[in-house]
Amino acid sequence: MAIQDQNRLMKLCFVTVGATASFHLLLQAILDDRFLAALHEANYTHLLVQYGKDSQALFEELLSKYPPGSPSRHSIEIDGFDFNHAGLDREMRLAQASLDEGRNGGLIISHAGSGSILGALRLGVPLVVVPNITLKDNHQVELARELQKQGYVIASGHQEVSVAVGRAETLRARMLAWPPVNGASQKRHRTLEQVMSDELGFLD
Amino acid sequence: MGLTQWLLRDLLWLCAIGCVVGVSAFTIFLYALYTSQNTNIPKWRSKHTPAHLLVVLGSGGHTAEMFSMLRRMKLDPSRYAYRTYVVSSGDNFSATKAVEFETQYLNHVQKATATDRKPAESYTIVTVPRARRVHQSFLTAPFSTLRSFWACLLVLRGQNADQKRLPSSMVSSYPDAILTNGPATAVCIILAARLLRLYNFIQGLIPFKSLGGEDLAPAHYQLRTIFIESWARVTTLSLSGKILLPFADRFLVQWPGLEGKRAWKGMRKTEYVGMLVD
Repeated sequence: MAIQDQNRLMKLCFVTVGATASFHLLLQAILDDRFLAALHEANYTHLLVQYGKDSQALFEELLSKYPPGSPSRHSIEIDGFDFNHAGLDREMRLAQASLDEGRNGGLIISHAGSGSILGALRLGVPLVVVPNITLKDNHQVELARELQKQGYVIASGHQEVSVAVGRAETLRARMLAWPPVNGASQKRHRTLEQVMSDELGFLD
Repeated sequence: MGLTQWLLRDLLWLCAIGCVVGVSAFTIFLYALYTSQNTNIPKWRSKHTPAHLLVVLGSGGHTAEMFSMLRRMKLDPSRYAYRTYVVSSGDNFSATKAVEFETQYLNHVQKATATDRKPAESYTIVTVPRARRVHQSFLTAPFSTLRSFWACLLVLRGQNADQKRLPSSMVSSYPDAILTNGPATAVCIILAARLLRLYNFIQGLIPFKSLGGEDLAPAHYQLRTIFIESWARVTTLSLSGKILLPFADRFLVQWPGLEGKRAWKGMRKTEYVGMLVD
């Protein structure tokens, strides 16, 4: 691949655990020798982690095991923050390719929150979805599975997240357009505008 | 001895009457829901009548999805000329997103259509107390739910402290349509809307009333409720969705696996409308 010669370019992996719940299993899985090695293998230079309000201590503790320059760090630049109340659009965009700003296309790894899934799909950045299995009402697993079936994302358990880095490169090669183009089968549905118009009794 | 027997007989009678009244009230309630869900609104509103849209916002994901849908449908600010956004207390994210949507998207659209009304006059953001906080005890929850329900009633009647007078161009003093995708507050708002409609309908049956504030629209043409199940729901309805299935006028789902669900036999089925978010 051509990227091999462009080691100067930044390639960022952004990990988000969401605002509402903590997701320690995912943090442990990414601040891990295997995961960092997988990132290095795929030419990543940066890892940015949104770790959640009550997980700063855990993040720093895990990070201290991989001091900069140590072989287990695999020369990955790592940074983290708790949450951004203005939304994560800016951070997500760092994973989007922009040759002007010296970036190759990166990767987003997300807890399965719909906001972050939509954000990543809109940007056209490969997305790995890791449902938070510690949550009780877990409908997010279904969403992740369905979107993987349709070829939009990679669904992964937190243990296999280092394998997913490689799978993301395959996904990058065949990214589907977002939002899905409404095919012939979808034409007969009423649109939201039509439904609202029906209910308000607007004349056509 | 005679006294206890009398008391017992009276009690039995009371119970019997109570049961009959209860059962008939319940039957009437079910029948009202049934007819309401199976009646379509006639086309009574001329195309250029401005409408008042109330949008219920919720925690992060719900709000992001809602604005994604409103952008994708290209919400027309000349048709939905007044917008009220309901947020739960402490939810700054939703309030910020509402302002962002109004100032960046709608203001931009309005400029393009050369309307020079100031955007600040055409929307409000109102805050209602939460029905149940995440770790709140189930003992106090009924009280806070009631408080939240009461706040929702006030919002629908335009009596929340944050609300200003509606523009005079509005046909009704209530919101014309309520749009939500399922945060807990949505349950309160939709039930409150249905209660108001029932109240106005019963009031409409009584002759010689008219205590001012006459609305042009008949009771069941107002406060139309549209529930959109979250895009994150692929095979099961959310709790809000399950509760509101018999109450919402329209129940839209974004995945085929949820199509055709209904509260019980004879009630309106959920409609699959494809993906509404972008």
